[in-house]
Amino acid sequence: MRLDSYRETWLHRTNPSVKLLVMIGVFFVVLFLHNPNVLINLSVGLLLLFFLYTGYPMKYLVLFFLPFFVIFVSTASSMTFFGQGTTTWVRWGLVHITKESFFRGMHLGFRALSFALLGLIFSLTTRPVYLFYSLMQQLKVKPKYAYSFLAGVRLIPMMIEEFQTVQNALKVRGADGGGIVNKMKRYAVPLLSQSIRRAQRIAVAMEAKRFSDAKNRTFYYQIGVSRYDVIFFVWMIGLIGLSYYMATVFPYFPVTDVR
Amino acid sequence: MYVASVDELRLKFPGTDTLLFEDVSVSFTKGEKVLLLGPSGCGKSTLLQVLSGIIPHSLDVPMKVNHIRIPDNWGYVFQDPDSQFCMPFVDEEIAFALENIGVPREQMKERIEQLLQAVDLPVPPHTNIHTLSGGMKQRLALASVLALEPDVLFLDEPTAMLDDEGTELIWQTMKRIAHDKTVIIVEHKIERVLDFVDRIILFNDAGEIVADGEASIIFRLHKEFIASQGIWYPGVWEDYLQQKKKRATNEERQAIIRLHEFRGYRKKEVKIHVPKAQVQKGEWIAVTGKNGAGKSTFLHALMKLIPTNGEYEVDDERLAQTKQLARKIAFVFQNPEFQFVTNSVWDELAYSLRLAKRDEQEITEKVEEMLKRFHLEAQRAQHPYQLSMGQKRRLSVAAAIIGGQKLLLLDEPTFGQDAKNTFALLELLESYREQGTTIIMVTHDEQIVKHFATRRWVIENGQLVRDEPVIQEERGRRCEIG
Repeated sequence: MRLDSYRETWLHRTNPSVKLLVMIGVFFVVLFLHNPNVLINLSVGLLLLFFLYTGYPMKYLVLFFLPFFVIFVSTASSMTFFGQGTTTWVRWGLVHITKESFFRGMHLGFRALSFALLGLIFSLTTRPVYLFYSLMQQLKVKPKYAYSFLAGVRLIPMMIEEFQTVQNALKVRGADGGGIVNKMKRYAVPLLSQSIRRAQRIAVAMEAKRFSDAKNRTFYYQIGVSRYDVIFFVWMIGLIGLSYYMATVFPYFPVTDVR
Repeated sequence: MYVASVDELRLKFPGTDTLLFEDVSVSFTKGEKVLLLGPSGCGKSTLLQVLSGIIPHSLDVPMKVNHIRIPDNWGYVFQDPDSQFCMPFVDEEIAFALENIGVPREQMKERIEQLLQAVDLPVPPHTNIHTLSGGMKQRLALASVLALEPDVLFLDEPTAMLDDEGTELIWQTMKRIAHDKTVIIVEHKIERVLDFVDRIILFNDAGEIVADGEASIIFRLHKEFIASQGIWYPGVWEDYLQQKKKRATNEERQAIIRLHEFRGYRKKEVKIHVPKAQVQKGEWIAVTGKNGAGKSTFLHALMKLIPTNGEYEVDDERLAQTKQLARKIAFVFQNPEFQFVTNSVWDELAYSLRLAKRDEQEITEKVEEMLKRFHLEAQRAQHPYQLSMGQKRRLSVAAAIIGGQKLLLLDEPTFGQDAKNTFALLELLESYREQGTTIIMVTHDEQIVKHFATRRWVIENGQLVRDEPVIQEERGRRCEIG
């Protein structure tokens, strides 16, 4: 599966720092939201954003979404089945579904879902390189930290490749069995020693290219704020407003607070 | 006036008993092209790091110096192509260097294109570095260093991890771009460097300078010393072949591997296809082909580390699992470190035998024999990670083959090794072959194919396209083939 096979949408063109801050804002809104009607509306809005504007083919989107859907179902159902409540609907052995536990379960499920969607939308529409350039330019993060992260991001695919090599090597030597502790050690020692050495070499190479925290640094990418950021901001505010409005005009459930 | 110099350098790595350098003085004038030569571990790379100020600025190593002059503008190319970049794309990596020295953003695009042209790297600027070959990565490293507009270039074994073609291109590029720059080089493969440098400084084991002067004179006067240090000099193969004993013929004609319409898959795509092939006992097959043609994949398929189908028999048996195959086939990976599973050389050798539940008496005998044969007796108690490059490589081969397998698969075992270690390893392999072991080896080195292999398989675009005998020059006739 090629992760770089997306078409660029307006979400990709929003400023990563703005996107990050707005999303953190929405995160807190979701966190302190106790009306399931509002939350369901909000989740549907995020779902639309995810499926329509992240720019990936539907096949991949469904694949990305599946694990989070499983989380949604499992969170919602466990709370529904085992949560506390006074108005019993069904009691069957350990399972005890009450009106309260059902609504709480639904609410928790949708909360988990919207967190997942926020994260997915952000990571699918933001290149790490732009994110860190933007963090340096808009939020004045020190280049030292930004470039360390970028160098670290580069190490990940190498580590995955090395993991497979170690796996093969251990298989050939018949060392792929044994307890979990032994196994961990066999993977961790070569992978870590390789990564530590590589990280140190990269650090030296970066300094050899005159990398420092000096002030006169220029930037290859100038990440600015554009109308897309306004659109994004308005989209999110509008979504939250509309969710509240719809929840009061057309509520799905008569419950307004699940606490 | 010197552009770089040290006077009475003393340096010691923490945890070692002896000084790496004791009162070493050396200086370089503008425009000089200098090669530092000496045995592995004599401190040449460390000297480059001192001269560039990486020690002690970036790497904290205790050192003392009477006087030091570090060039104002320098660039440093490192040995490992994979660990000198911090950005994912070619243009971003070069831009990183430009940003560091404060080049205005508007000029960057143009500079990047000029630099890529200067190092002869004809890729679109926004190319993922991961997709480049080793040789291309090193030229990119050179481009991003040139972005700093250095007067002095430090090259720390820039071609050690490259094949012949990549090495050639690096030095061609250097000749084009470096005429007005001072270049200080550490390199073990000097065939293509000799006509580039005009001065050679020769070091011995103790980190002392034994000779310093005009390149051609030093090379002629000290050729024997250079040869004894495991350096790849021009004519090293001719010299080696003169003292090499004639190869024993191996007339056994019995198939050990049969392949028919054999395919190996990665992510459900056919990555290697062998229409029909046979390997006879006692053969040495060199698997050659371009980077990414599928040579390593072929070895992985033979070991069933990837899904395969088609006919594949080893010793007239069809084996489905890696585990069963591992009893008949020993496999040596490109990076020896990934194969080590224990904490000492001795245990490493004993590992497979213990796994096979042989009795301790037999294990001790066998391990001792291997230690001797692979020249690792003095290192028996060391941790495998503490060994030198050559020792690690020998240990990985010894540990793989100790189970008595009759078939040995090797993935570029001589890669990055110096001449001494390469010949030592090839001779060990040859001694196994003479005793009936069959060898299948991926290599880029034409000389190895010519002088050691009995047959060559060429892989192109994931397909075995040629299967031809190697004509052994010394014997003047075709060797036995199946």
